[in-house]
Amino acid sequence: MSDQYSNEPLMEMFLFETSQLLEQLEQNILSSEKESGFSEDSINEIFRIMHTIKGSSAMMLFDNIAKLAHSIEDLFFFIRKEKPEQIDLTVLSDLVLEGVDFIKTEVEKIKGSSPADGNAENLVVTIKNLLTELKRMNAAPAAAFTPIPSGDYAYKALIHFEEGCEMENIRAYTIIHNLKELSKEIYYIPEDIIDSDESINVIRKNGFQIYLKTDRDYRKMHEFFMQTIFLKDMELLQLEDTEFAQYNKPEITPEENLTKLSIGKEVSQVEKPVRTDQLEKEPTTTNTTQSIISVGVVKLDKLMDLVGEMVIAEAMVIQNPDLKGLQLSNFTKAANQLNKITSEIQDIVMSIRMVPLSATFIKMHRIVRDMCKKLDKDVHLEIIGEETEVDKNIIEHISDPLMHLVRNSVDHGIENTQERLEKGKSKSGTITLEAKNAGSDVLIIVRDDGKGLNKEKILKKARENNLLFKNEEDMTDKEIYNLILLPGFSTKEKVTEFSGRGVGMDVVTKNIEAVGGTLSVDSVAEKGTVITLKIPLTLAIIDGMNIKVGKSRYTIPTISIKESFRPKETEIIYDPDGNEMIMVRGECYAIRRLHELYKLKTNITKFSEGIIIMVEQDEKTVCVFADELLGQQQVVVKALPHYIQSFKRIRGLAGCTLLGDGSISLILDVARMFNR
Amino acid sequence: MKRVLIVDDAAFMRMAIKNILVKHDFEVIDEAENGLVGLNKYKDLKPDLVTMDITMPEMTGLQSLKEIIAYDSNAKVVMVSAMGQEPMVMEAIQSGAKSFIVKPFKEDHVIKTLNNILNLS
Repeated sequence: MSDQYSNEPLMEMFLFETSQLLEQLEQNILSSEKESGFSEDSINEIFRIMHTIKGSSAMMLFDNIAKLAHSIEDLFFFIRKEKPEQIDLTVLSDLVLEGVDFIKTEVEKIKGSSPADGNAENLVVTIKNLLTELKRMNAAPAAAFTPIPSGDYAYKALIHFEEGCEMENIRAYTIIHNLKELSKEIYYIPEDIIDSDESINVIRKNGFQIYLKTDRDYRKMHEFFMQTIFLKDMELLQLEDTEFAQYNKPEITPEENLTKLSIGKEVSQVEKPVRTDQLEKEPTTTNTTQSIISVGVVKLDKLMDLVGEMVIAEAMVIQNPDLKGLQLSNFTKAANQLNKITSEIQDIVMSIRMVPLSATFIKMHRIVRDMCKKLDKDVHLEIIGEETEVDKNIIEHISDPLMHLVRNSVDHGIENTQERLEKGKSKSGTITLEAKNAGSDVLIIVRDDGKGLNKEKILKKARENNLLFKNEEDMTDKEIYNLILLPGFSTKEKVTEFSGRGVGMDVVTKNIEAVGGTLSVDSVAEKGTVITLKIPLTLAIIDGMNIKVGKSRYTIPTISIKESFRPKETEIIYDPDGNEMIMVRGECYAIRRLHELYKLKTNITKFSEGIIIMVEQDEKTVCVFADELLGQQQVVVKALPHYIQSFKRIRGLAGCTLLGDGSISLILDVARMFNR
Repeated sequence: MKRVLIVDDAAFMRMAIKNILVKHDFEVIDEAENGLVGLNKYKDLKPDLVTMDITMPEMTGLQSLKEIIAYDSNAKVVMVSAMGQEPMVMEAIQSGAKSFIVKPFKEDHVIKTLNNILNLS
């Protein structure tokens, strides 16, 4: 059945649902751990989830996943049924989490279209051993199941069912099934009771023959067979071992391929149904019409792209050079209407792509848990504002950095219990993960109450690695702390399992910057460290101010523009190095000439002819000098083509966009333009 | 066209079954994600056939089956079971399920089973 199920939506559904279930499972385990016990509900849930995963993955022919899921399912089936008391919670949750990790890895492999070839054999064995152990320990002496009999007596039974009772094969199967509790050696004719409808006729004609060995005596066995429903007649013979041996054919395990059966007209025993009170409350939970559908991300990305193209096309029409100088009042009206609709579509499409941070945040619980265990620390993770929404693409980019930050906090920030107590702090450390909206940005704050950053160590390290860009004495605390974000900085001498694997904070910084975000560090010795990520809500479309320098066009995000003005030459002041500055309302700002920075030819070099745009980003303000303002427009941010990026990294460019007349404009990232 | 209601908590399974049924000219009139919803949809829609998963939240397939049979003793319910659920299949058969299919199932088995049931008067 290899290719009948290999169709893509089904695969996508499998991956989607499995991932979701795994998340759910993980949360279940973690919260159970917190409550130091599995509630009946959570055991049921774990069982169900594993059952579902087993079914789906077997269907998709991922046998390794199915096998593992099956073993965990078995384990929880036992726990659900027997409610064993002697059970080591940590061992149990560790095992399940290990299983979750394995399946997750496999699912990732499948997503990346590589073969899911992981081997969980060891884990399966461990789980099975645990189950055996549990069964052994929790075997209630009174209700102890008779151990499988060694097989003292051999019997032959010939069974005829009542005519017209239908489903002879499944009835035969029922007998075999029940017999398994009494005997481990069973052979029967016809053998193919499950696989073949033909067997029904054979049973009807010749009866159903069973050969078995058991320690039960004749009377007991007779009693057993007589209990069969719709039994017409039955012959039971005791056999000698030698006689039995000739029927010694390979045993058939009907459970393995229970696939077909014939259908019964009558139902033998319709159990008198008991109306549960569940039914009475039915209106509350029933008939929920589907109000949510899942859509592939690819489609959403495509939609986003198209909306972007539409915005550009709209600008191309409305700002078409052919229209210059014409008075078209009707056209303008229609154009405004179009503009209104496109921006509404944009908002909607954006909002579709917004995903709450909760999933990303909740993952951190697991990381904190695992690390606390390994490092023997006591850390409590607090999550605030997880409902804050961010563009899906951005979430993918910040998940890893965030994980790294949390790891750092647990590993380097929070002290171990003893140290904390000596310092007079609370026994368990707290890491707070907070998200909130701030204008067009989202702030994500990772705060710990650990030992804080060590200024001297940072400075020493920075000196060694030549990372100091100004006088040590002149540096504010914040500037010193932010040194750790620079490439090639890592103060931890010892590399631990979790953090400081050579990839330091600079990787985190790079990842955050890749989505147009920034990162800042603040710390108070012995009080803790705060790391703030500032990430844009969305990447795709921004309001931009188009400016011109020589023949080139640039776009500055409108949100960072504070004002623009044309100063007099006399207002310009110079610092001792000859850099141009301007005083505005008592504050002094550096002026940067774009034509100098990008070496552009322009006739406008006098401040009185051009324009100065004051731009603020990340609490830094600079004045940018350009030739003229071209106007404001929504622009679709496109990444710089790969070959340009790899050819030379140009400082201060966030991307590019198309203008209404079809020309290309480069989007300036002012903050980075002037950073060293 | 025979009208089928699919009851399964796994969207994946529902999709897999639906794909097969649609291919063979069955009409999947609705789906339900647990036994309780399945039961109510059965009452609403009176499908010719129900495929019923066994392990589900809210109300298990067995319970749902029993309720459906109590409501309509002629209901044609096919259990969708997994390996290792034989006892439940047995119970289901005893409770009035007409037949069952075993996950992972093959297309022809599903179709054969369903047709078999529908051919019974």
